[in-house]
Amino acid sequence: MTLKRVRVVIVKEWREAFKGGKTVWIGTVAIPLILLGISLFQLFHISDFRAIPPEELPRVVGAVFLVPLLYFLMFPLVIPHSIAIYAIMSEKEQKSLEPLLAMPLRTGELFLAKTLASVLPAVGITWVAFGLFLVVIQALLPASVLELAWQQFSPLWGMALGLFAPLAATFMTLAAMAIATRVSDLRTAQLLSSFAMLPVLMSAFFLVLQETLSRPELLGLLSVGLLVLDMWLLLLNVKLFGREEILTRWR
Amino acid sequence: MIVAENLTRRFGDRIAVENLSLEIAEGEVFGFLGPNGAGKTTTVRMLAGLLAPTGGRAVVAGVDVVAQPQRVRTLVGILTEHPGLYEKLSAWHNLKFYADLYDLPNPQAQIEKYLRLLGLWERRFEPAGTFSKGMKQKLAIARALLHEPRVLFLDEPTSGLDPEAAKTVRDFIAQLASEKRTIFLCTHNLHEAEQLCTRIGLMRQRLIRVGSPTSLKRELYGRQIVIELQEPWTASEDLHLPFVRSVQRDDRRLLVELDDPEQHNPTLIKRLVELGAQIQFVREQDRTLEEVYLELISEEQR
Ligand SMILES: Nc1ncnc2c1ncn2[C@@H]1O[C@H](COP(=O)(O)OP(=O)(O)OP(=O)(O)O)[C@@H](O)[C@H]1O
Ligand SMILES: [Mg+2]
Repeated sequence: MTLKRVRVVIVKEWREAFKGGKTVWIGTVAIPLILLGISLFQLFHISDFRAIPPEELPRVVGAVFLVPLLYFLMFPLVIPHSIAIYAIMSEKEQKSLEPLLAMPLRTGELFLAKTLASVLPAVGITWVAFGLFLVVIQALLPASVLELAWQQFSPLWGMALGLFAPLAATFMTLAAMAIATRVSDLRTAQLLSSFAMLPVLMSAFFLVLQETLSRPELLGLLSVGLLVLDMWLLLLNVKLFGREEILTRWR
Repeated sequence: MIVAENLTRRFGDRIAVENLSLEIAEGEVFGFLGPNGAGKTTTVRMLAGLLAPTGGRAVVAGVDVVAQPQRVRTLVGILTEHPGLYEKLSAWHNLKFYADLYDLPNPQAQIEKYLRLLGLWERRFEPAGTFSKGMKQKLAIARALLHEPRVLFLDEPTSGLDPEAAKTVRDFIAQLASEKRTIFLCTHNLHEAEQLCTRIGLMRQRLIRVGSPTSLKRELYGRQIVIELQEPWTASEDLHLPFVRSVQRDDRRLLVELDDPEQHNPTLIKRLVELGAQIQFVREQDRTLEEVYLELISEEQR
């Protein structure tokens, strides 16, 4: 296993995805940006915090900050979708896998590179978006609101970004790759892998709408569930990702 | 440079390559012929460390393909059946990617060398997807050569190219051969095989026959002399020459099969003249590799 080869493949994946056209771009950057925009818009337009009596403030803050949280839970699921599918389908369509497998590249390196090529931007973009979110609210919200928001949300934010985001991005990447290796056309792959993100998304929604605020550990529980799913998908992918498997069955 | 012993590959119940034993010396251009589905591509994949054999062994460039496939892949170059380029990436970035995977010490120089040699330098920044079939094939050949492999596998390098592009590629192969590289060439173009190859292997699941184009022809047909006459041959006598194996008459032509024509032709011709033959032309019958191929394949089918 050499990191140089892994890095070389990752750079190639990104360069290809970058030139790959709209679908990849919209999925990777546009959707998160739009979601971020919407969440900020809601935050500032729906609630005029100054008009709210101080005793009401904790409840309002708890309610309005839940929606942005939901969006941040969606990012890592949405972003890998197109990159991961692209990473497999484009190799299949271009029949570029055989020359690639003829290189001194181990299948493990190839698999790791393809996985990282999708997980890294997903986690990175989620973090950057969250950073932007913090900067904007820091600049525009009254100190009292900010303080309340930190109090109520910091455990959730920590878990959502530190734990859930990487695990969810890995889940979506592995699921999309497993699907893409098995189907032969892009549309089917996209459709099937959007189904894959539904259960995770639904449980995240459910949790957030439930008592999440008072019980942040629920999000931790969801992450543990994801971790188990990730492990299982990893085993599945490693099996699907053998050199022989790729050469003889990916058509 | 390439040694295979009982190399076998099964796919489920189907045997794609069966007990292939073969030895190819350094600097040889070995032509690998056989009908569709004969197992040529499968053989190349095994020899290039891409696909594990299910039986037998092979040593390529001194390395065992079963024990060290990764090492084999660093030592050989392969032009796969499909060019398999990254269509969105430029010619340059395509080659840069592979050069980096090979971890070349001087990637830029190698890329430039082969892009120039193959006439793609001017168009290096254009996406490979916009290239014609011939240009894609050349780019794929460049990719196979970046790391200067001593052993090169070419799977149908000229298939689907127009005559001019095919000739450029063939000339390039000839040039590579002159650099003493060992070349394993799968092709359906028998003329090409005859032109380029020092030896030919005929494959159909098993290796049917191996030999130089000339020796295969001789083995199959013996050597025949065509003698064209001014008048139809009517003499009824036998030639009574011990070295003559058979004589076919055909209006104004005699087809004589004999041993060692260099030595015996003068005697043969003298005898014919004595018998009153009006000889116009004497030449050796030239079989094409195509005839040999078709004959051997149909023999195999029987
Ligand atoms: N991945 C695979 N799975 C199952 N069978 C295969 C596979 N690859 C090749 N075969 C079978 O092995 C046999 C040999 O195939 P191969 O591609 O090596 O032939 P070939 O000589 O290269 O043919 P062509 O001239 O058409 O390129 C065929 O019967 C083919 O169907
Ligand atoms: Mg073939």
